[in-house]
Amino acid sequence: MNNITSFPDASINGVHHTARPTWKLRETVEFYRDKLGLPLVHAITAKGWPEGHPDFLHFFFDSGNGSTIAFFYYLGTEQPDNVKPFNSHFSRATHTAWKVNQLEELSNWKKRLEAVGIPLRYETRHEVIESIYFSDPNGYPLEITYQLRPFSEKDINDAQLTLDTAMELEDLMLSGSGNDSFADIEDLWTRKGKSLLHEFEDMV
Amino acid sequence: MSVSIFVLDVDEFHPLVVHSKEMPGVIVSGPLKGYWRIESSSKITFDRKELGFKPAVWYGSLTGGYVGKILEFSRDTLIIDEAI
Repeated sequence: MNNITSFPDASINGVHHTARPTWKLRETVEFYRDKLGLPLVHAITAKGWPEGHPDFLHFFFDSGNGSTIAFFYYLGTEQPDNVKPFNSHFSRATHTAWKVNQLEELSNWKKRLEAVGIPLRYETRHEVIESIYFSDPNGYPLEITYQLRPFSEKDINDAQLTLDTAMELEDLMLSGSGNDSFADIEDLWTRKGKSLLHEFEDMV
Repeated sequence: MSVSIFVLDVDEFHPLVVHSKEMPGVIVSGPLKGYWRIESSSKITFDRKELGFKPAVWYGSLTGGYVGKILEFSRDTLIIDEAI
């Protein structure tokens, strides 16, 4: 997949919507529209199609900058266990992170969450973002984040080296060619370190 | 073989570079291709609070890669020695 220059051009310009199902209609509307203050901007209701598909509502809340967060409400259905969010890193990895343009806005959001009775799960200063975390009535994880600095060429190049190295380790692991595994992050860090050591020594 | 730690030349990891420059027996070179190299002929120790790192950044301190062996990477202490 290295030579992708011959592929047709195609670009993306931000998020239009992300969507998820809900079985809590009133709680969801009151949470997003009233507590968070995201305007309800569109709803479509439809007979289920193709055959066997339940009748449904599909509705959208404005999350700024042209983006929306959307829900499906499937009539006459019960929530299957396999789409219930559960309390685990694996489940919370799928989440929505909204952007604010000023660090002070995070403080404003913390005050608002407290005022409307939404529990703050935690707040964290990461390497390039500072975030607050909470959940909606469906258990879907939400994040509001402020990016502390723009990404640079250094970030881009480092990301490439990191992922190239990680994919090599994954390939080795999947090939079953010996004792190679990819269970500890040290495997990645030392492999990446050796690669950079060669670069530094080549320059001497 | 000495210990080498590679640190991406960005603001959030810069305390690693600043502190290493003050450590006796430690050589800091670079940045080269976006990375600093922290080199030590013996084991090297970092203290999270001295660096002023919040946990999320601290536990990513080695994301640039290293050559050596981690002896300890706990909430407040990172010790790397030469690889055997």
